[in-house]
Amino acid sequence: MNVNPYQPLLAAIDEIRVEVAGERPIKTLKLVLQKEDLRKRFSYLPGQCVMVSLFGVGECFFAISSSPTQKGYIEVSVMKLGKVTSALHECEPGDALGVRGPYGNSFDVDAWQGKNMVFIGGGIGQAPLRSLINYMVDNRKKYGRMDVIYGARASKDLCFKKELSELEKRDDLGVHLSIDVKEEGWDKFVGFVPDNLLQVKPSPKNTIAVTCGPQIMIKFVIQNLLKLGFTEEQIFTTLEMRMKCGIGKCGRCNIGNLYVCKDGPVFSYKQLKNIQGEM
Amino acid sequence: MVNLDKLRETVKEMLAKEDVKYVVGYEKGTYGFRVSPSFAFTPEDADKFIFSPLCVNNLAIYPMLEEKLPLRKDEKEDVRKIGIVVKGCDSKAAVQIIQEKGMKREHVVLIGVPCTGVIDPRKIKARFPHQGKNVDVKEENGKFIFSIDGATYDIPKEELTFDKCKHCENPTPVLYDVLLGDEILSTEKEDYEEVKAFEERSLGEKWDYWKKQFERCIRCYACRDVCPMCYCKECMVDQLSPQWVRRSTNLSENAAWNIMRAYHLAGRCIGCGECERVCPMGIPLTELNKKLQKDVKEMFSYTAGLSLDIKPLSAIFSPEDPEEFIM
Amino acid sequence: MTTMEKLVLPKLEIRRLINGMLAEYRVFGPIDDDGVTLFKQIKDPSELDFTFTNSTVPPKTLLFNQTETLFKFSLGRSVKIDPVDIANERTVIFGIRPCDAKSFTILDQVFKGDYEDPYYLTRRKNTVLVGLSCTQPGVNCFCTSFKDGPASAENVDVLLTDIGEKYYVEVRSDRGKHLIASMKELLRSAKAEDENNKKHVEEKAIAAITRNMNIEGMVNKLDKMFENSLWKTIAMKCLGCGVCTYLCPTCHCFDIQDETALATGARVRVWDSCMYPEYTLQASGYNPRPERVNRMRNRVYHKYNYCPKNYGVTACVGCGRCIENCPVNIDIIDVINKAGEAKI
Repeated sequence: MNVNPYQPLLAAIDEIRVEVAGERPIKTLKLVLQKEDLRKRFSYLPGQCVMVSLFGVGECFFAISSSPTQKGYIEVSVMKLGKVTSALHECEPGDALGVRGPYGNSFDVDAWQGKNMVFIGGGIGQAPLRSLINYMVDNRKKYGRMDVIYGARASKDLCFKKELSELEKRDDLGVHLSIDVKEEGWDKFVGFVPDNLLQVKPSPKNTIAVTCGPQIMIKFVIQNLLKLGFTEEQIFTTLEMRMKCGIGKCGRCNIGNLYVCKDGPVFSYKQLKNIQGEM
Repeated sequence: MVNLDKLRETVKEMLAKEDVKYVVGYEKGTYGFRVSPSFAFTPEDADKFIFSPLCVNNLAIYPMLEEKLPLRKDEKEDVRKIGIVVKGCDSKAAVQIIQEKGMKREHVVLIGVPCTGVIDPRKIKARFPHQGKNVDVKEENGKFIFSIDGATYDIPKEELTFDKCKHCENPTPVLYDVLLGDEILSTEKEDYEEVKAFEERSLGEKWDYWKKQFERCIRCYACRDVCPMCYCKECMVDQLSPQWVRRSTNLSENAAWNIMRAYHLAGRCIGCGECERVCPMGIPLTELNKKLQKDVKEMFSYTAGLSLDIKPLSAIFSPEDPEEFIM
Repeated sequence: MTTMEKLVLPKLEIRRLINGMLAEYRVFGPIDDDGVTLFKQIKDPSELDFTFTNSTVPPKTLLFNQTETLFKFSLGRSVKIDPVDIANERTVIFGIRPCDAKSFTILDQVFKGDYEDPYYLTRRKNTVLVGLSCTQPGVNCFCTSFKDGPASAENVDVLLTDIGEKYYVEVRSDRGKHLIASMKELLRSAKAEDENNKKHVEEKAIAAITRNMNIEGMVNKLDKMFENSLWKTIAMKCLGCGVCTYLCPTCHCFDIQDETALATGARVRVWDSCMYPEYTLQASGYNPRPERVNRMRNRVYHKYNYCPKNYGVTACVGCGRCIENCPVNIDIIDVINKAGEAKI
């Protein structure tokens, strides 16, 4: 009983990248663990999360948005919303933070080898998908067709713009961006992400669909995926809840008898349909 | 004593009208000397209603517990009224809330019950600690009559009623739409004897007394949640930015919580005593509230919850006030 | 686990027994604090109240502290974490009732698992439970509904049962054996007559428990009635005060907050309640359990459906504290029995 799961590992902010400016800014923080041996030993899979501590303020549960194929650091993408995230937005490179994790289950990257992949993200929901997409791109040969469908309210609200434009240049995957409302200079799809999905019309054959974003978007994305012929076992999403311990003890993140921090955050649609609980 | 048939008839009449959603009253509890709040939506539900000296709950809190969720597209807001059975103290709570504009007068229909005192659950439990089956109580000639397992007990009222009932100035509800029974004139006066005796103690003695009490507080907030006056959408103690009171249970934070709550109730607390009844640790919260009640009376000649025509204490500005400015 | 030892202790020697414990252990026991029974640390056996039914705050507060400093830290550009020493003094909880002792086995499931909670588990490891059988159960006790009993030695290290002139002493574990080792002279082996007396006392206590919760098949029944109107009916009364959760021996929900004073601070864990709306309130303002009906239903399901599914045990020991202390007489026995009878 040597490890205290409530005590974070010390890390420092290496780099801060502004993804979205304005009212609801989003920043990606690159965190490097202080102890070098821990840096090497910290291993995770796409979909897993960490509890990031801002000492004196509090902790937040974030999906790791970087891929484990990029060694030595992890990245979390933070939207400024409440007490802790607002304080995180005031941080500067070099500031010390705490990291606990990795927690939760992951996307089943092993079972999905050989499958075609469709990633449907909205707004900040792209964060866990980014980890998965980059992981699969770094292991490109192991996976089939890949389609990235991503949208936001306006072009300024799109995250990871630089990476997405790099992905667009590739010819071994499709990138389908969208914004909700018409904009000067935007020549791609205009409309909601679920509608873009119908336009892209991915084939359900041997395909896994993963979607993350606002609840309302997920609802319609799943509706449309089912319309396109996807089965419940082929659709995956991540859920979020208010969290405190991250290790299934404080009780608050439960949906039915499942804890989002322990049994999630990755759930298949089939699982979600059968849980009786409030999401 | 309240005529139960009349009570149930009144409730049924009220429900028959289109504009009453439900009526809150009392029904038999599940064991011992308990009584439970009861909600009548249909005339059949009204048959469960009772009124006895065991009816301690202040039901005036229920209009403030209504949860209003965002409406769906073609959903209209349900603006129907709520009926409430109120004793004297409960009616003062309703008056105070309406004074503060916490709810509209038209939103509630008050069934007033003249009350001659209710039984303190702690006192009756001490007398009959092993009473499992639900018991009924009647009042006769200054005594409470119980029949338990064939035997009858009669106990003088003063041995069982709340301390608050002994000095009750409003046995008849101060506000009602229907009154079930004849008005009872008050023979008592609140003289704050216990508060005055406590004020005589030295500062050290006072602090030692309250230190012991506050150390026991487990910050369950039952006192706040049962109080009809505590209806802030976000309680000061739940605020995080900034955080006024930490959640740690130590003397400092516990004292801050209890004293701050007492001050937030100054000029508003109507002395129903529910806070003290529900406190699992037996902290004598009414002593704190009574002190502030006395101060408010002496400094501002103000008593809470008496009439709809009076404005709330902190909303009144009089040119005669000693301070030059509004604060 | 050693085979159970059966001994007797003359009633008059109870003082010496407790003094013997006090010599080597911290001892917590039931004391009367101005009419409220609480488990507090004692320095002398005379402080104990043997006439209690059960404490108001359950002894879970001794292992799962209401306020727990997880660690301290110093702030600045570089943060330094100061771990705290978790109290690992040898401790005795004297006079714990069988229901509360059972609650620890349920809390063990929560605090163990993939991530072990050092705060609870260190104390648990260093605490010896000396139980005291209930000879006069409370009116709302229903431990017998869960295959437990007022004189069950199942979850304690030593169990004392008052059989008149003596205490019948059952020693169930090595820890218990070690505890009484230095006081062996006070005890002698139990005779058949003593054992019969204990059985008699036990049967009398079980017969005195009149309330019963029909737990049979409840997990499956609850699975079928998630949308039942029963939850709304009960939740209408509920004030959301949280007393039931704070006084429940198996409730374990908590909050974690950082407290600072200038350049130093501490991360503190405090009890929380699922009955408060802020419990699940997200920073966006969205709340998955916005109404009291959601929170009430979640609480009932957690105890009687989710915990059985996750840990194989109902998270209720039948102590009756929630029933006694609920301001509006929400009676969990009544609730579950109604759920059992509900038409689906």
